Amino acid sequence: MEALRFTGSGSEYFKIWIVNVLLTIITLGIYYPWAKVRNKRYFYANSNLADRNFEYHATGKQLFIGFLIAVGIFIVFQIVSQISPIASIVLIIALFIAIPWIIWRSLMFNMRVTSFSNVHFGFKGKLKQAYINFFVYPFLLIVLIYGLPLLAAFAPMIGVPETLATILSFSLILILPAAFYLFAFIKKINTEYIINGSRYGQGIFEASVETKKFMMINLKTLGISVLVLLVMGILAALFGGGMEILATFDTESFEQGQLPEGLIGILALGYFFMLIGMIFIMAFSITRQRTYVYANTKLDDEIAFESTLRARDFAWVMLSNMLLVIVTLGLAMPWAKVRMAKLMLENTLVDTSTGFDEYINQKQDEESSLGEQIGDAFDVDVGVAF
Amino acid sequence: MINGNYHKKGSAAREAAVLSINDLGRYAIELEDGTVHRGELSHLNISERLGNVERKIRLEDGSVFGTLDNDAVDTLFKGAQKVNAFVHYLETHLKWIVVAVLVAIFTAFSFFKWGVPWASDKIAHTLPYSTNELIAKGSMDFLDEYMFEKSALGEGIQERIRQHFNENIAHISVDDESEIEYKLHFRSWTMGYTEIPNALALPSGDIILTDKFVQIAANQDEIDSVLLHEMGHVVHRHGLEMLIEGTFVTVAVMLMTGDGTAMGDMGVGLGSALLSSSYSRGHESEADKYAFDKMLKAGVDPKSFSNIMNRLTAYMSDEYQDNKQKKDDNVMDYFASHPSTQKRVDLANRYSECFKQGLTVCK
Repeated sequence: MEALRFTGSGSEYFKIWIVNVLLTIITLGIYYPWAKVRNKRYFYANSNLADRNFEYHATGKQLFIGFLIAVGIFIVFQIVSQISPIASIVLIIALFIAIPWIIWRSLMFNMRVTSFSNVHFGFKGKLKQAYINFFVYPFLLIVLIYGLPLLAAFAPMIGVPETLATILSFSLILILPAAFYLFAFIKKINTEYIINGSRYGQGIFEASVETKKFMMINLKTLGISVLVLLVMGILAALFGGGMEILATFDTESFEQGQLPEGLIGILALGYFFMLIGMIFIMAFSITRQRTYVYANTKLDDEIAFESTLRARDFAWVMLSNMLLVIVTLGLAMPWAKVRMAKLMLENTLVDTSTGFDEYINQKQDEESSLGEQIGDAFDVDVGVAF
Repeated sequence: MINGNYHKKGSAAREAAVLSINDLGRYAIELEDGTVHRGELSHLNISERLGNVERKIRLEDGSVFGTLDNDAVDTLFKGAQKVNAFVHYLETHLKWIVVAVLVAIFTAFSFFKWGVPWASDKIAHTLPYSTNELIAKGSMDFLDEYMFEKSALGEGIQERIRQHFNENIAHISVDDESEIEYKLHFRSWTMGYTEIPNALALPSGDIILTDKFVQIAANQDEIDSVLLHEMGHVVHRHGLEMLIEGTFVTVAVMLMTGDGTAMGDMGVGLGSALLSSSYSRGHESEADKYAFDKMLKAGVDPKSFSNIMNRLTAYMSDEYQDNKQKKDDNVMDYFASHPSTQKRVDLANRYSECFKQGLTVCK
């Protein structure tokens, strides 16, 4: 097993980043897609495994089309919502229906424009499956959580037979465990959809994960959340001088919903503690899932993966990055990003003993036809980062 | 001579290779096994330079020569190949980095300082008046539920103030915003053991006076001056502006930090808290100005406004002397939502001079 390395540096990236900012400002935002390409190229090219690196091949022009479409949709939406509320609802529904397609196109695009050691990645997942994963099941989850209780509440009024209504209200007890299961199940099928659809040259990625394991991780996360909440409650009680300050503000400050002066300090402190808690919970969930998914992923049954990312390291880098960025009013952003990239890559292990020399490009991975270019426009980042 | 690696077209396998060029504008890439690839320099496609990441030189047949020796590539191909090096030039010259940092800081500052309030003002006044009522919906119920008690003032006093307001003050804003229907409410507001003297306006035109406020006010003019100030908030649609400003800040900070994760959250939360108190200071000044202008028209001495403000401040500091710890005025000033009292008093005095001269406009 060999870990990936990040070969870039914060100071080098700072210069690239700030020039991106400068050019984006003076072009009133038009340069943004080109800036994004430069950013991505820097991070991909500095991601190194066994002395070979990744590459990002998308061009600013390709992304610019997507940028224009996104801006266009936004403007149309703004205008339509001014004119007719019904039309804007129709537009929102249309957008929801389009989401799986957008995700699917983005996966294809982003994989295709990424290469490692001169060989491109690809994505072969089916559109139908994308609709099942990103539309049907999430929809079921929403129906389960919101629809069923509503139905049970209104059942007597809309003339549902009494026995059926009773069964309905009893079924409410099952909502929580069912939602809990469905949540983990969605995670499982999404993971398998993305990984099993991925290709490296002729190589096929394969992951087999179990809903049960995701449920265990979620259960532990829930337990930790309760624990964190308890700790926060105790802290709040210890620092709970907030009320006193609440009573010392002057006459004008509550107007228009503003907060009294001292209270902002107290709220900021509370907010900060809450964020630490949330970051840790998030880090726990993400790292556990990552470890589990990587351990069960293989490329061509030969190349195995491993994640050694620990929750506390991940949480620490997230938190310290956040403080760094706030204290410097955003100017330390490049260092923060480099730190995060280093941490993620150094905790990603790949079995390199078989080597990569046998891998060759598949034709369709490299070239995109004219028809596909419209699809290229949608490059939404779906959570497939290393 | 440049050392690097050679990949056949679309293959992950690689071989060590050396690239050299001659005076005739031709190149040669010699592989480890002795094979040599030759061709015209102008047929090579060289990737744009980016920091010190590996440079890819694509040959005519789709094979690729990659090297980390960026400087050598730049020297060797100078003039022979058009390499788009403009951005890289900026990135490697300190003076341009400094310029970029300054431009970024200046832009961000102006955007938040002037851009957001300006745009929010424009948007708030473009939206139909009903939006104003929409955001105030439910506020009164909420305040009644959680903060206010029924007023203990006598019906007579309430009716007198209300009648005076309806007859002499309420119509003053008609020129600016004819759709607003002002309604006066009286409530008692107690926090801890202290009654709070305050006046607040909802975007819908509901204005609430607390019992303590009415008690502290020495005369009708003082009440009128504060009511006009509150009407200023309503006419200028400050409630709506705050909402729009908040949205701007959220979106801008999200774009700047580049994500919606914890890093963005913290920035957004803190940023909007600080910025909104700065924006609302602007709103207070605007409402003051509105009140002073209208006072001249309504025949109310602007001095009344500073009088009651002083009395309110005095009352509050008396009340809370015990609770008040030593606080850093500079820091607190940043959080404070209203213009410093001295500035307010000065402005009131200036307007008062105009008033005494019988002017209806004060410049």
